[in-house]
Amino acid sequence: MVIKVKNLVKRYSELIALDHLSFSVRKGEIFGLLGPNGSGKTTAINCILSLLKYDKGEIEIFDKPMTPEAYDIKRNIGIVMQNVAVYNELSVYENIDYFCGLYVKDKNLRKKLVDEAIEFVDLNDYRKFYPNKLSGGLLRRLNIACGIAHKPELIILDEPTVAVDPQSRNKILEGIKELNKKGATIIYTSHYMEEVEQICSRIMIIDKGRAIATGTKEELKAMITLGEKITVESYDISEEHLIRLKNLPNIVSVEYKEQLLEIKSSKGKNNLENVLEFIKRENIQFGKIYSELPTLNDVFLEITGKELRD
Amino acid sequence: MFAHIFNYRLKCLLRDKITIFWTIAFPLILAIFFKLAFSNIGNQEVFKVIDIAVVENSQYQEDQNFRLALDEVSKGDSRLFNITVATAEEAKKLLDENLIKGYIIVDNQIKLVVKESGLSQNIIKSFIDNYLQTVSAASTIIQNDPSNQQEILKSLADRKNYIKEVTGTGAKPNSILNYFYSLIAMACFYGGFFGMRETTDIQANISTLAARINVAPVHKLKTFLYSLCAALLIHSVEMLALLGFMHYVLKIEFGYRAGFVVLTTIIGSIAGVLMGALISATVKKSEGLKVAAVLTISMLGSFLAGMMFQDMKYIIAQNVPILSYINPINLLTDALYSLYYYDNLSRYFLNMVFLSVFTILATFGTYLILRRRKYASL
Repeated sequence: MVIKVKNLVKRYSELIALDHLSFSVRKGEIFGLLGPNGSGKTTAINCILSLLKYDKGEIEIFDKPMTPEAYDIKRNIGIVMQNVAVYNELSVYENIDYFCGLYVKDKNLRKKLVDEAIEFVDLNDYRKFYPNKLSGGLLRRLNIACGIAHKPELIILDEPTVAVDPQSRNKILEGIKELNKKGATIIYTSHYMEEVEQICSRIMIIDKGRAIATGTKEELKAMITLGEKITVESYDISEEHLIRLKNLPNIVSVEYKEQLLEIKSSKGKNNLENVLEFIKRENIQFGKIYSELPTLNDVFLEITGKELRD
Repeated sequence: MFAHIFNYRLKCLLRDKITIFWTIAFPLILAIFFKLAFSNIGNQEVFKVIDIAVVENSQYQEDQNFRLALDEVSKGDSRLFNITVATAEEAKKLLDENLIKGYIIVDNQIKLVVKESGLSQNIIKSFIDNYLQTVSAASTIIQNDPSNQQEILKSLADRKNYIKEVTGTGAKPNSILNYFYSLIAMACFYGGFFGMRETTDIQANISTLAARINVAPVHKLKTFLYSLCAALLIHSVEMLALLGFMHYVLKIEFGYRAGFVVLTTIIGSIAGVLMGALISATVKKSEGLKVAAVLTISMLGSFLAGMMFQDMKYIIAQNVPILSYINPINLLTDALYSLYYYDNLSRYFLNMVFLSVFTILATFGTYLILRRRKYASL
C-alpha cells in the first residue's frame, strides 16, 4: 500500500470534518476522492501531509508513519495545491527550479527534470514569463509542474482543475494519466464527477467527512438500484402520458420538468426501444432523445439523498 | 541547500517592488525632504542686519555715550544695525515706506518709534533697554567710587561669553542631526517588511505557498533561516546605501566613529527585520493587517524618538523614561546620537545592550511561534 489511513478523526470545535475516515491507496492507481465542497477532501489531504493536527487515527505512507519530519517519505511526494502556490517574483522556469531544488540537490539532474516538467505541462513558450502574465489555465499548469518536477512516486492533486478552461482541463487530465502510466501513484480530489469518472481507477465518495462508498466506477454504479436513464426533449407530454409511461415494464420513475421527460429504469434493463415505440404510437412531438447509464452523481444521490453539486 | 534557497530568496526579495520601495526608496525620499526642509530652517536662522534711523537733534548730538554705543553696534560684519541719521520727518517717511524697522528719538528719554511689533523691533528695544541699564549701573558705581571711573567703564564694556557649545567628540554641534538619526532608525525598522514576508512564507496556516514549502523534505526552520539571511543581507546593504547617501550626498555628519556607525546600523537592520518577523508571526490575520502593524509600530516608535518633533525625545525621556528604553527606534537613534556627541561610549553601549536584548527576544518569540510543526487549521 502507498497510503493507509485508519479511523482518521478531525474536529474543528463542534464540527466534525473527518469522521473515522479509513481508506488505502494501492501502488500504481489513480485514486479519486469525490465529494461536494466542504465534504472533507482537502482536510483529509492536509492531514495525510502532516500539515494539520488530527484528533485520532493513523496515517502511513510507503508503510511508514507519516510525521512532519518524515523527510524520506516527503522526498517521494508531490503536491499540487487547490490554490496556485508559486512565487510571483520568479519566472516559470525559476519557480519550477526552486521547488524541484528542495527535493533534488544535483544541479544537472535538476535542470533535466525542470526541462522535462516544462515540456510535460507544455509551458516551453512561457519559460521566462512571470506568473502574473499567465492565464488561469497556464497558471494551473505551472502549479502542477512545481509539484511534479522532482518525479515523485506519489502525487496528490487537490482540485487542480478549478476555474480552468476546458482546453487546459483536458490537457491536465491527459497529463495526469500520463504520469500514472509512467509509474506514479495518484490521489486526485475533485467535486467534478465527470473528471473523476474519466481518469480514476478507484474512487472513494466522501460526504461530511465520512467515506460513503469506495470502489471502481463500475462497482460504485453496481451498488445502486438504478439502471438506464432516458431523457426526451418535448413540450407535448400530458399527465395521461406520464401515467401510461409509468405502467411500462421495468420503469422505476418518470418525471417531466421544464420540457424534459426523464425516465429511469431498473438496473440491468433497457427500455429505449419501449419508450421510442410509445412516443411513436402516441404521436408525441420531440426534439432530442438520449439514453445514459447511471453516473456517479446518481450513486451519490441514491446514497445520500442529495446531488453532488449541492 | 543553503545556496539554493538563499539565491532564490535574494531574487524574490529584490524583485518585490513594494517592499523595496518601503525599505529603501521611501527613506531616501524622506531624507531628501528632510534635508530640503532643514536647510530652509538654517537659512531662516541667519541674522539680517536691522535698518533703523536716529532723529538728528541737539540732544542726540549731546549724548555722546549713546552715539558711541550706536557706532559700536553698527560697524563691522557682525553689526546689529544699519543706521541712517535723519530729520524727524524723514525718519517717519522711511518708516512709513518700510525702509526701516523703527527710529530712535533722543529726547529727555530715549524713545523708539515702530510701526509694528516683531523680532527686529524687539532687538532695537532690547538694545536701548540694555544701554539704559548699563548707563544707570555705571552712574551708580561711579558715584560710589569716582576714583576708578576708567576701569569701571572698561569692565562694563568688556562682555565675555563664558559658555561655548562643543561636543565631547570634537564634532561640530548640529541641532537637526537627531531628525536624520531617527530617520535611519525608522528605515532600519522598515526592514520589518522583509521579516514579515519571511514569516508569512513559512507558515502553512497563512499561505498556500508556505504549505507547499512545509511539505518539502527540508526542515521548516532551516528554510526560514536561509531565507532570513537573504532578507538581512538585502536590508543591511540598503541601510548602508542610505547611510552613504546621507553622508556623501546630503552631507549629514555622523562624527568620527564610522565603524561604530556602520555596526550600529547593521544591528538596527537585524533588529528591524526580526521585529517584522515577530509581528507577522503574532498577528494571525490578513497581510494588510500585518503591514499596518509594522507601519504603525515603526511610525509610532519614530515619532517618540523625535523624528517629527525633536523635543518629543526629551519629553519622553523626562516624563516616561521607561518608554525610551523599550522603544527600539529610540535606542537606535540615541545610539547614533551618542556616537556623535559623547566622548564616552557608556551611553552608546547601554543603548546597544537594550537593542540587543530586544533583538534576542524578537528572535526567541518568532522561534517559539514558528517551531509549530502542525496546525490546528489551515
